[in-house]
Amino acid sequence: MTHLENATAGAPKAPAPRPAATRRARRRRRDAVMFIGPAFLIYAAFVIVPLGMSVYYSLLRWDGIGPISGATFYGLKNYIEVLTDDDLLQIIGNAFQLAAWFTIPPVVLGLAVASAIRSQMAGRFGTATRTILFLPQVIPLVAAGIAWSWMYDRNGVVNQFLSLIGLESWTRGWLGDFTYALPAVGIIGAWVLLGLCTMLLVTGIARIDGSLYEAAKLDGARPRHEFRFVTLPGLKNEIGICVTVTIIQALSSFDIVYVATAGGPGIETTVPGLEIYRLAFAHRQVGLASALAIVLMILVLACVLPIQWALRERKQ
Amino acid sequence: MADLKLRDVRKSYGQTEVIKGVDLDILDGEFVVFVGPSGCGKSTLLRLIAGLEDITSGDIEIGGRLVNDVEPRDRGVAMVFQSYALYPHMTVRENVGFGLRLAKVPKAQREQAVGEAARILQMEPLLDRKPAQLSGGQRQRVAIGRAIVRDPDVFLFDEPLSNLDAALRMDMRAELAGLHQQLDSTMIYVTHDQVEAMTLADKIVVLKDGEVQQIGAPMELYEHPANLFVAGFIGAPKMNLLPGKVTAVDGHEAVLSGADLPRLVLPAPEGDKLAAGDEITLGLRPHDLKRMPDGPLELHTDLLERLGHETVVAGHLPTGARLTAVLDGRSPVALDETIRLGFEPSSARLFDAGGRAI
Repeated sequence: MTHLENATAGAPKAPAPRPAATRRARRRRRDAVMFIGPAFLIYAAFVIVPLGMSVYYSLLRWDGIGPISGATFYGLKNYIEVLTDDDLLQIIGNAFQLAAWFTIPPVVLGLAVASAIRSQMAGRFGTATRTILFLPQVIPLVAAGIAWSWMYDRNGVVNQFLSLIGLESWTRGWLGDFTYALPAVGIIGAWVLLGLCTMLLVTGIARIDGSLYEAAKLDGARPRHEFRFVTLPGLKNEIGICVTVTIIQALSSFDIVYVATAGGPGIETTVPGLEIYRLAFAHRQVGLASALAIVLMILVLACVLPIQWALRERKQ
Repeated sequence: MADLKLRDVRKSYGQTEVIKGVDLDILDGEFVVFVGPSGCGKSTLLRLIAGLEDITSGDIEIGGRLVNDVEPRDRGVAMVFQSYALYPHMTVRENVGFGLRLAKVPKAQREQAVGEAARILQMEPLLDRKPAQLSGGQRQRVAIGRAIVRDPDVFLFDEPLSNLDAALRMDMRAELAGLHQQLDSTMIYVTHDQVEAMTLADKIVVLKDGEVQQIGAPMELYEHPANLFVAGFIGAPKMNLLPGKVTAVDGHEAVLSGADLPRLVLPAPEGDKLAAGDEITLGLRPHDLKRMPDGPLELHTDLLERLGHETVVAGHLPTGARLTAVLDGRSPVALDETIRLGFEPSSARLFDAGGRAI
């Protein structure tokens, strides 16, 4: 210990001065509040308040037309109905099946495309591929739903193609078929989301240091090793984003299903988004619709938060 | 370990030829440095040897085996990249052992090889860290370790020290030299830093515009540069190059003069290589210039760099030509002063009108 340190250690402790630093800190806090305040107010008005109101409505029995004061308090009965009603449970199950369709094909195909065009990214081929694959993303979902419902029609291009290759026995009205309607809708969603996933993954793969692939080649890696040990770990954040976005899209989907099948046949393709709309505006069961919406939100969070958490964990 | 032969190796990208017929013999265990300015093709040549690029024509032999069409993994080479190229999600241990894992080497044997490389490079405490937790020097060590465990015939280094700071670069340079002695392997090293080239190499290959300018031992290149490019590239500060003319050749002596040259009498080269009237360039190393009261060169100083052990003096001759000299560290020289400089006649180098050494 130095002489100076000794002297300092031995000296009586002076009371800590509270001068400019505190004033500066206060000013910084005020600036922060001023900057965050407007955004927070907008967020509160459009997210927190509606969310709170939904929670409140979910505890009521209300037709949505009469005054709210006329609604009766229903407790957790709406939630119990959501979690016990067979139809509603099937609808929630449909959403999860759709999530698999919306997530797995776009991410897997996106990875395949990104890996395939990695070396040609800068060339015309890469640009053309990216443009073609991104195109579905800029088409309105309603238009995509209509176009695909034509293609899935009994005389549509899908059945024409099957007939052409000799699989006539496979032809059917896809969107009206109890077994295949949901996968058919899933394929529409996968087609729409493939562009987004490919763009994200192509952008991500471009950021991977090219010398990693060269180092792997020299280490003895074959293409499958390069994919497993360089591409996949290098794209884990992008894959996480893709999975998050596609799951949210699937669980909260409405427009594609509404246009393509309107939830039919029966309730085979009905998803929570569509059912919430029906319950609230057709059946005048705002409380039950709100409860389903809250359950849907919790399900989305339950799916997405672990993914986000896992990504953050790995980053550390 | 293996020798390596390049025979008329060429590489073109479309119409642009970037490697223009390189012939080179690298002996077993030799440390060869490719040096040259940016864009001279030195890294491309290294990548051709590694197999990361295909040659357009010519032959590459490693250990007597033609490897033109052999995959990089089967060439028996290991490469250390400028960017380190460490797999970010793997620990140091996994990075170093990755090649062996792909080669399906049993785990125990793999661990032993990784441990041995870690011991050689003194990085045992780092084995369980990820690359992001390492400094630049440590990452470079891991990259070298990854090359060592593969026990390659030829080590390739692509500007491995250029991302390190000056002090670390010097340390790593010494370590690389030590590593070469320890492993006694064939090593090819690419750099644009001629100090690295001079200190590390058994043999230097100077490249310019995809062509080999000179191949030789460091001191051979320094003392006897084959042309003006090598003369200017090797040595720091650069060799002074003063254009002039042979005014007379008298037996063993040649008399030079010119717009930038005072009248100088130098020993004439062997044979009839010089004749009166020949255009020449006189090359003088800054370190060969000495302060002499009756020296033939009169320098008006306009730049002074005192480095402690030596003083770099730059200025211009009465004709306006620039000249640099390196004097003793404590040399009493000042800015804006006129000093006289001389040199040993034998230290002067002459180049003909085509830039070739005479």
